[in-house]
Amino acid sequence: MKGMDSRFRGSDGISSTATSNSMNSPAQLSPQTPLVRVSGVTKSFGGVHALRGVDLEVFPGEVHALLGENGAGKSTLIKILSGVHKHDSGRIEIAGREVRFASPAESRAAGVAVVYQDLSLVESLSVGANLMLGREPQTRFGFLKKRQLMTEVSAFLREHGIPLDPRATVGSLPFAYRQMTEISKALMGDVRILILDEPTSALTEGEEKILFDAVRTVTQRGVGVIYVTHRLNEVFRISQNVTVFRDGANAGSFVTAKTDMKQLVTAIVGPGHAALGADAPIQKTREVAVSASKPVLTLSRVTNDCLNCVDLNVHAGEIHGLAGLIGSGRTEILETIFGLRAVEQGEIRIEGVALSNRKPRTAIEQGVALVPEDRQVQGLVLDHAIERNLTLPRLPHFSRLGWLDRIGAMTQARAVVSKLAVKAPSASTVVKNLSGGNQQKVVFGKWHQPRPRVLLLDEPTVGVDVGAREEIYALVNEAARSGTAVLVVSSDLAELLRLCDRISIVADGAIVETVGREAIDGTEALHHLIQLPRAAAQAS
Amino acid sequence: MTESSSTTVAAAAPPRARQLVSQLLQGDQPYMLYVAFVIMLVVFSAASPHFLSFDNFLNIGRQTALVSIMAVGMTFVIIARQIDLSVGSTLALSGMCAALAMAHVYDSWLVGAVAGIGTGALVGFINGVLTTRLAIPSFLVTLGTLSAARGLAMLITDTKPVIITSDPYIELFGETTFLGIPAPIAWTLLAIVIGILLLHFSIYGRQIYAAGGNPTAALYSGINTRRVTTLAFVFTGMLAGLAALVLSARSHAARPDVVQGIELDVIAAVILGGCSLFGGRGFILGTVLGSLIIGTLNNGLVLLGVSSSLQLVIKGAIIVAAVAFTKR
Repeated sequence: MKGMDSRFRGSDGISSTATSNSMNSPAQLSPQTPLVRVSGVTKSFGGVHALRGVDLEVFPGEVHALLGENGAGKSTLIKILSGVHKHDSGRIEIAGREVRFASPAESRAAGVAVVYQDLSLVESLSVGANLMLGREPQTRFGFLKKRQLMTEVSAFLREHGIPLDPRATVGSLPFAYRQMTEISKALMGDVRILILDEPTSALTEGEEKILFDAVRTVTQRGVGVIYVTHRLNEVFRISQNVTVFRDGANAGSFVTAKTDMKQLVTAIVGPGHAALGADAPIQKTREVAVSASKPVLTLSRVTNDCLNCVDLNVHAGEIHGLAGLIGSGRTEILETIFGLRAVEQGEIRIEGVALSNRKPRTAIEQGVALVPEDRQVQGLVLDHAIERNLTLPRLPHFSRLGWLDRIGAMTQARAVVSKLAVKAPSASTVVKNLSGGNQQKVVFGKWHQPRPRVLLLDEPTVGVDVGAREEIYALVNEAARSGTAVLVVSSDLAELLRLCDRISIVADGAIVETVGREAIDGTEALHHLIQLPRAAAQAS
Repeated sequence: MTESSSTTVAAAAPPRARQLVSQLLQGDQPYMLYVAFVIMLVVFSAASPHFLSFDNFLNIGRQTALVSIMAVGMTFVIIARQIDLSVGSTLALSGMCAALAMAHVYDSWLVGAVAGIGTGALVGFINGVLTTRLAIPSFLVTLGTLSAARGLAMLITDTKPVIITSDPYIELFGETTFLGIPAPIAWTLLAIVIGILLLHFSIYGRQIYAAGGNPTAALYSGINTRRVTTLAFVFTGMLAGLAALVLSARSHAARPDVVQGIELDVIAAVILGGCSLFGGRGFILGTVLGSLIIGTLNNGLVLLGVSSSLQLVIKGAIIVAAVAFTKR
């Protein structure tokens, strides 16, 4: 893999090979010298201590998982390592040399590459142009060598087994592919330390595997990887060591091979937290007689530009999962039910009532609620107060001849904030200032009162920490217990298995099969079910 | 509310009145705007003996009436993440239609008012429909109507002014006083009150904030963002019509070439008043203050005897500085 960078620097391979050797050669460092050493680093914002003296060591070729709830200090440390913030005290060494980055550019020059959750791609350009942004191969006169650029990018993507078309426009790609583009972009430069901030939050397992393979490939080059995630099962699949932060301090360091899920959860949430009981076998207190009751939500032969004859029944009190690969049509099924996409053929009935012209407004009036995939773009008006966001879908309820019942709206918002335990100073707090988990609770809160008949959830716990995740699961279960029909899309198979009574497998805009929860033996089995339709398609 | 809410919702919940006042006066912005206004008043008062008088303030009110009335509408448009460049042309066309309707259809102030405001509403509706249905950026749509409406106003009479002879019309919109308040200022106050009621106290106000703050999230919350946005343009057009009535009544005639370039003052007033060009933020009283700042600046510079060319330069610099200052 060495010298790979030189091929991506353009035509003058000779000079850049020399630099990339001096930058990248693992032999330069003895394995005992950590690539990154953070010791006793503190940082406060105003009066808030975000970091109270944390330590972290990452060695060449290692994947080091960094865990902790939202607000534990992971993001702050990453922002310090990437040059966004400066630390107050303590010491940071990169490859044995003390550093104090004044800007992201300095950090990048030292070989630190960060892939953030929110992407930094130019949507109007192609994947190839994005990957080579700022280092495009040029002719002597400064013109772009477009063909060479595409060839280089294709070679790189092929080498890393990344299934991206370098010619595709980034803006037209689904979220997961944009994320892969972002990661590829980070991998292309002279990277010594790669920081991944929840890279898999929107990936399916198949895509996740591709990502992991790519990560393994770069670690063989001697790159050290800091891997931030909320998904504990990934920690065991990819990392060698784990560091846990809690409240801005170290809460434990583990060798991955010598620890287990239970130990990590304890370190993350702290002793005596309710989430610790979560690993106990699920005890279904709900009794769902799926066959006996009449379904609340019925889709019969629903067809449009994304869906192909979808048949689906969801009963009162049932939690029904939709599993499938990205692009299989899972999200589109929810969007069609919510009236965001037209139904060309077939019909959707809510408690037996079909509507000819579905719009979100009419769907809401029928009692359909959607917690969308991307809460920052689709779910919330980030600049507005919690109360304004909570009131939005229910405005007609607070209307008296078009005038707003301000007291009623505020009273209900306070009630929802306290019921869902949203951690915020008041219901007037601006949503942007909340953590991911609390933002997601606000999105759930939009549909809390009155109880929806059909609750559609799209990736309900993406970017949500362990504690808040349990609270969200409790909310979903409570909604089902009170008779709501719940339809969940998730790429987190363990989540589907934990929540759902039945799971439908989606592929190519159609439902391939529907199975009861008890018929699926673990995430591995579900994974196979999801892959099966694709394998069959490839075989034929 | 349960007991636990007292911990999460904390000691919030200020008395309703205080909350209301803070929303009306502050919007999302700090008080820098008020500070800027007060500083300006102090400076002009110290520099000119004529500045600090009741008559002069009425003067400022009359001079800023057109900008203030239209700025109330523009606040809705900008909160909806749109822009309306056509307000000046809409005003000219509406004034012509009002005067022509009275001259040729029926000589009554009511006919003039309906024709003027109706024309404004129609132009606003066209702006709104083209923007939301054809997904053309409102900057381009209203750049088009800016030119087209002005051209139409000139075409009707071949650029000749239309004299207004209806005395009740001239009285009502231009010359009478309501409780001692000159008509132009009274109509401005009416526009402000309607704006405040719509934006801060109606369901529609919530919808427009959401449609501008995050159109996707608004759509996902069941809000008809197209309709909401179109209504903002219609409202702005109607207020441009109202401004046309006030202007034509004061000058006893409608002219097709009036208030060229006024849209820039209107937009400056709204932005100065704390609206975000990125949508979702702003408040009516801020806009009013922004308009007063621009009006006071014009008035004060005239009183100080600054040449009109230099006035433009100073005004431009102060507007940019004030926006930079209030945005921090």
